[in-house]
Amino acid sequence: MTASVTAGLAQGLAAAVDELRHITVQVRTRGAATGAGVLWNGGESGARGLVITNAHVVRGDRATIELSDGAVARARVVARDRKRDLAALEFEPGRAMAATVVRDSPLRVGELLIAIGHPGGLVGAATLGILQATESAREGRAPRWIRADVRLAPGFSGGPLADATGRLVGVNTMMQGNLALAVPAAAVEAWVRHSHQPVAP
Amino acid sequence: MSTVLQSLSTELADAVESAGRAVVAIHARRRIPASGVHWRPGVVVATNHTISRDENITATLPDGTTAAATLAGRDPGTDLAVLKLAGQKVATASLRLDPPPKVGELVIALGRPGPSLTASWGVVSRVNGPWRTWQGAEIDSLLRLDLAIYDGFSGGPLIDGVGRVLGINTSALARGVPVTIPVATVERIVTELLEHGTIRRAYLGIGTQQVRVPESLARKLELKGDLALLVVSLEPGGPADRDGLLLGDVLLELGGAAVSDAADVLAQLGGEGVGKPLAARVIRGGQVKMLQLTPGERPTSRAA
Repeated sequence: MTASVTAGLAQGLAAAVDELRHITVQVRTRGAATGAGVLWNGGESGARGLVITNAHVVRGDRATIELSDGAVARARVVARDRKRDLAALEFEPGRAMAATVVRDSPLRVGELLIAIGHPGGLVGAATLGILQATESAREGRAPRWIRADVRLAPGFSGGPLADATGRLVGVNTMMQGNLALAVPAAAVEAWVRHSHQPVAP
Repeated sequence: MSTVLQSLSTELADAVESAGRAVVAIHARRRIPASGVHWRPGVVVATNHTISRDENITATLPDGTTAAATLAGRDPGTDLAVLKLAGQKVATASLRLDPPPKVGELVIALGRPGPSLTASWGVVSRVNGPWRTWQGAEIDSLLRLDLAIYDGFSGGPLIDGVGRVLGINTSALARGVPVTIPVATVERIVTELLEHGTIRRAYLGIGTQQVRVPESLARKLELKGDLALLVVSLEPGGPADRDGLLLGDVLLELGGAAVSDAADVLAQLGGEGVGKPLAARVIRGGQVKMLQLTPGERPTSRAA
């Protein structure tokens, strides 16, 4: 590698991380920072804002979210699926923000992945890794997890796992030994479509 | 977004895809299968410690099919095993013998613990010089890696950024630390295992400890150096025992070269030394004595 490649890489990575921070929110319950969330809908066309996180990040019905621009909003859990470890939070956005773009082409083993989270209260931390494996495709069955060779720490839960172009690949959920597991973005998309029905307050 | 980042991502995935065509899963133990690399046409290299049976070995090929494999030979010393795979259309690994890997080089470890390929990335953290494993096997330049180990790591290839194989990975040579046996060593072992089925290693059946010969004695015996090797264990009926070496003898020279640590002894042995007598100069009872020691062939399953 020549120095210019390394410099270009460093710049590109910093720019990619910067963009991903815009779709990463902090999710707090009872005032304590508990995890991260993905800004699924930033309130475009007058819709309510929607944040996706892990079910294990928000145990109660309410949470406070902090967006990347520092805006704080109260959010309500409108859907939860403990089996998939997903939760959807609704909030009233102050202003419309860019929402997540989901990667729809197949993933390739070895491609770069970036995870954003807030480990130990460090807001907007990034880690870089690669796709560790694709689950063996069985007829008509979507993969349960995105398997990433990425070091995650507590605080990354619920945050985005994205590809080199910044498109969402998954929602970071847990570590299994050295392996990071994320709920596939396509599974999140399907879940949001089918189960995002406002619950009675 | 950065095109450099995207290019790197695509190139890494390309490297994994092309090198992965030569990586197979080896089913030769309970539970999780290990990996193997299609090294030469019909020849698969795997790790010895992941092959716990000599028969009923199968391989899962990159296309998902299963094929029978036969064990051609194994070498516990380097933790390598060679299998034969007949009549299969599998890509052969592209090997990089030159230039040698450098510390800090970006590398990827591939594995196939089943039908799917796995990858982890990191850097070469150290390139060792010629090194002998605890069983006396010589490894040209073992690579130490800074990357995560996943199931199926052992027997898989370490590849560079364009998918060329730098060696065979194992977690069993350095107490669980991920290391890579370089291409040069693998080539040598594969050739020898295909020819003989085993790696012949000469041995004497002795255990030694470095000692300092008292200055007065060293002067009296006109020794060049004062470090030597005290024989502290002797395999009963082993080559040195048969040739009359005794416990408590102090070994000064072997094959005409001064010996002051165990590596000096191993350097006189190697694979070609079996059955070739070596002149040994020892101190016994305060006197210098000459002996002829004829190395035997090291039993494969035993240390020392």
